[in-house]
Amino acid sequence: MTPPFSPVLLLGLALKPFRPSVLQPVFDAMLRVVRKRHPDILERMEPFQDKVVCIDPVDLPFVLLLEPNAAEPRLTVRRTVDPDESHANIRGPLETLIALAEGKVDGDALFFSRQLVIEGDTEVVVALRNAIDGAGIDLVADLTSVLGPFANPARRVADATLEAVSHLRENVETLRQALIAPAVQGAAARDARLAELEAEVKALRKANRRGHA
Amino acid sequence: MAELNSNALTRPELVCPAGTPAALKSAVDAGADCVYVGFRDETNARNFPGLNFSRKELEEGIAYAHERGAKVLVAINTFPRAGRPELWHQAVDDAARLKADSVILADIGLIAYASAKHPELRLHLSVQAAASNVESIRFYAERFGVRRVVLPRVLTVQEIAALNPQIRPVETEVFVFGGLCVMAEGRCALSSYATGQSPNMNGVCSPAAHVRYVDTASGVTSQLAGFTINQFGHGEPAGYPTLCKGRFVANGKTSYLFEEPTSLNTLAMLPDLIKAGVTAFKIEGRQRGRAYVAAVVQAFRAGVDAVLAGRPLPDMDLDQITEGGRQTTGAYERAWR
Repeated sequence: MTPPFSPVLLLGLALKPFRPSVLQPVFDAMLRVVRKRHPDILERMEPFQDKVVCIDPVDLPFVLLLEPNAAEPRLTVRRTVDPDESHANIRGPLETLIALAEGKVDGDALFFSRQLVIEGDTEVVVALRNAIDGAGIDLVADLTSVLGPFANPARRVADATLEAVSHLRENVETLRQALIAPAVQGAAARDARLAELEAEVKALRKANRRGHA
Repeated sequence: MAELNSNALTRPELVCPAGTPAALKSAVDAGADCVYVGFRDETNARNFPGLNFSRKELEEGIAYAHERGAKVLVAINTFPRAGRPELWHQAVDDAARLKADSVILADIGLIAYASAKHPELRLHLSVQAAASNVESIRFYAERFGVRRVVLPRVLTVQEIAALNPQIRPVETEVFVFGGLCVMAEGRCALSSYATGQSPNMNGVCSPAAHVRYVDTASGVTSQLAGFTINQFGHGEPAGYPTLCKGRFVANGKTSYLFEEPTSLNTLAMLPDLIKAGVTAFKIEGRQRGRAYVAAVVQAFRAGVDAVLAGRPLPDMDLDQITEGGRQTTGAYERAWR
């Protein structure tokens, strides 16, 4: 899957020189919070405790390995994963994966429109999707909830950050449009020329049929 | 759109799907009159991994819905295994104990059990029972006290309008949005043929454990139990990995032999369906996420309210959540004829 040109992709390029393990404490903390606030996720995943799911945000230079073991769940950040290390893979842009986790988009709809790629054990992927969708995750509320008296200021900072990211996304989209404009114009010209040629061929075939009649 | 006197119309119930407690809340908050759910086992036709309700979750879900004036219906609509009906009996008993507003049943033996054991429990006949004519519906009503029948997706609007006066006071419920089957509901053996499991007996069509997606140079291939059932080119909209929506080669031509991946959408037909005397509109999709539930329920809530208020139907774009990115009015119009 080709990653979309987005602020996350730019962030990913900036993160590339760092070792993924630098981010491990962040994901450990996230897992602790989600486990505490949404214990029903692991309960729904009980039949799949021994499975390993690779979550691949295609616009970031690392992948996540999820082991939904109820007693000792793990979310490990890695640069790459060998095919035999995971039972299933879920691939998509980070923002799509976050929207899916927060129930803001429908997993089936993402799959129908090919914005999400699934490989391997489909059953564990479906179970994970249902378990997470059913939990009602709100990442900002969940992650700031552990900050006690700092929760409200942290939420305000998070909201401001998300708004800034939204503006950045608009700017990046403008940049993307500018970059691809020559290619789009070229493609449009080729499409027009192709339509002309198709019309010519059609007319020639018609004339040819008349000649044979 | 048919001419309607909005004052003379009965307000139909909007019956919405929920596979999880979060989806139930989304449905109720978006304006559902009823939410239908299933237990976390093979007693219901959406027995998917990670989906459905524990007894405790159902109890909490019913409390949430009732506090907001909505009803909860429990689908126990698979067919009990011969000689082992205990799981299905327990499901009916638990739905009654937890004060569900009705149970949706398909198996005649289970209906007999529910009718005898819980005479106060409202019974709805599942689409899986495939009762589509006056005689069949009257039998279920007269013999077991069935109050509502979910009609199979094989009838036109005109046929539904003709049926309703003949079966009153039995109510009819029709599907208005969502996935479609091959119009042999409760009798389809395609999934069973390929995987040994079926929606009728195990509550799951084309179980995920048998599904594989394989990336290829030309796109993605979907397989069910080792059978290649479809190939999608890069960027081509995909559908569910069911045999009925597979593309096969016949007479040298590759095509959808049974049906194409598409979703039912009757939003534009709501005035006709209301005029036909339908009591309840059902949205398919307990396997879908809460984003789907919220979007579809909001659209149909706005649509039904607009019709009843005599306003034009709102323009609601549901393309993004349809299967294969396509919509149909199915058998209601039989546009293919």
